[in-house]
Amino acid sequence: MTGAQLAVQGLYKRYGEVQALAPTDLDVAQGEFFALIGPSGSGKSTLLGSIAGFVAPSGGRILVDGADVVSVPPYRRNIGMVFQNYALFPHMSVFDNIAFPLRMRKAASAEIGARVERMLAMVRLQGMGARRSSQLSGGQQQRVALARAAVYDPALLLMDEPLGALDKNLREEMQDEIKQFHRQIGATVLYVTHDQDEAARLSDRIAILDHGRVVQVGAPRELYEKPCNAFVASFLGEANLFAIQGAAPAIRGTALEIGGGIRLSTTRRWPDTANGAAVMACVRPEAIRLTEGTAAAGDNGLEGVIEDVVYSAGLLRYRVRVNDSCQITVRHHPGPAMRTAAIGERVALSWRADDTLLIPKE
Amino acid sequence: MTPQGEFLSRLMRVALPGFAVLALAYLILPSLIIVPMSFSNQLYLTFPPPGWSLQWYGAMQQDLSWPQAAVNSFLVGVPTALLSVALGTLAALAVVRGRLRFAAAASAFLVAPMLLPHVIIAIGLYPVMLDLGLLRGYLGIVIGHTVVAMPLVFITVSAALRNYSESLELAAMTCGAGPWSAFRHITFPMIRMGVVVGGLLAFATSFDELMLSLFLTGPGTRTLPRLIWEQMNAYLTPTIAAVATLILAFSLLLLALVALLQRGRAAEGQAS
Repeated sequence: MTGAQLAVQGLYKRYGEVQALAPTDLDVAQGEFFALIGPSGSGKSTLLGSIAGFVAPSGGRILVDGADVVSVPPYRRNIGMVFQNYALFPHMSVFDNIAFPLRMRKAASAEIGARVERMLAMVRLQGMGARRSSQLSGGQQQRVALARAAVYDPALLLMDEPLGALDKNLREEMQDEIKQFHRQIGATVLYVTHDQDEAARLSDRIAILDHGRVVQVGAPRELYEKPCNAFVASFLGEANLFAIQGAAPAIRGTALEIGGGIRLSTTRRWPDTANGAAVMACVRPEAIRLTEGTAAAGDNGLEGVIEDVVYSAGLLRYRVRVNDSCQITVRHHPGPAMRTAAIGERVALSWRADDTLLIPKE
Repeated sequence: MTPQGEFLSRLMRVALPGFAVLALAYLILPSLIIVPMSFSNQLYLTFPPPGWSLQWYGAMQQDLSWPQAAVNSFLVGVPTALLSVALGTLAALAVVRGRLRFAAAASAFLVAPMLLPHVIIAIGLYPVMLDLGLLRGYLGIVIGHTVVAMPLVFITVSAALRNYSESLELAAMTCGAGPWSAFRHITFPMIRMGVVVGGLLAFATSFDELMLSLFLTGPGTRTLPRLIWEQMNAYLTPTIAAVATLILAFSLLLLALVALLQRGRAAEGQAS
């Protein structure tokens, strides 16, 4: 089956004086896996709730395949939804949970049996139909919720932090399953999470929300490499951010002062900012080389003292103090022969001028 | 530990359960005293009775006013329970699930009749029922009892609703269940125990209620508590003890039923 095309136009929600969602526009293509991410209170749940029909928007339109659904009650929207706490019906068996949407649609019992068995196979729960949901593990319950949401072939599937309650290993396993599940059913998926790794692993595109508005929309790589502001840069992965002193240089490529006598060189273009807002330099931790000895001459060559070092999942992560106002995070894969630099050791840092991104602060 | 400390802690180990037993005895014994009194061979209420007989149970059957009052108690209690269940469940749904601005105030108002002295409610209802022509009829007392019994249903059903997440109902809706289907297939099965227990408590409240019955019932509709009250003033025979013993047995039966249902609910809650 094919997924629905979703368009959100000028959608906003106010609770009295509080604006939960600023006027928002979004276009999600047929069959796309689209993630909404942002900190809590950023408006992503309000947006999802409006599309599901639980939240009445204060204004704007929600078009599913071109038809405005704002005034359609949730039970007539034909949208599948997976909830954070699974929301399985505890008084029903696994089979009855998955069959529920079909029964509500008055499907014939032969068809119900066939479809539920097919879904059980798809989520690898064959033979578990007679169990109670309370007898299943967290991962199994989530798979039942997935099957229940998709059993009637909805063209649009909403997922509200579906893996939030699972531990890390299981979460990564379930991410692969969800991705495969999406390929099989072909529905358009709108996926809410606060976990940027999860969003990047699963999604074709991501919308980042903050303070009730969409800050940036793009493919995971695009967002990471071209963040539109400091919030996006620090929310998606780690970022070393430096406030630049002074205005835009007259000549592109001029070294930039960041205080403490430190100068950064960049090949990047000075960004267009609204009414001269502040610009920040952003260097990703994995772009920085950490070596023993003294700094190389020129810009982007610094010296510092290691304050902290952590080894995790094949990566070394150093926190290096350059001076009182400047601290830099470095992350890299150590080669097998490479020794781990110790806390208190003096090291040199360097990176390519191309890796100094220039982004607006706001 | 010092010898004194050890002595004190040993004393506490004995004294605390002893105190608890005394408190329980204080609560339950007055109710049980009527049982031996009802088997008395005397012509008036005495305790302890000097001898035993079953004559007062026989006397109770011969006086037609007792069975008539028992029937009245059921004719009032059952409709009261049903009306309380309907109204209390609706009120609980509105307060717990509806997004009311004054949910806390509404909740306090709904529970208030249970806490107000019945005599105040009775004095208030008397002229109203007189005006409406409902005084001394079944409908008048059913309405009166519903006022004081409905809060119990409201409380038990509210607790049942708070026991599970609203997302179950939202999930049902995204599955295509309209409001009525969602209630029938999801909400009601989840709150069923609260509804049944609330209904039983509402019935027990009506069955035991005296003050409203004194004001609102008449000779044809008087309930058991009212008849006992009248007979206490007129005669003081052990027949009253016999009736009270039967009422006690019936009430204990209801309480046991409620306790059983609640234990079943707790076990169900643990399983999920």
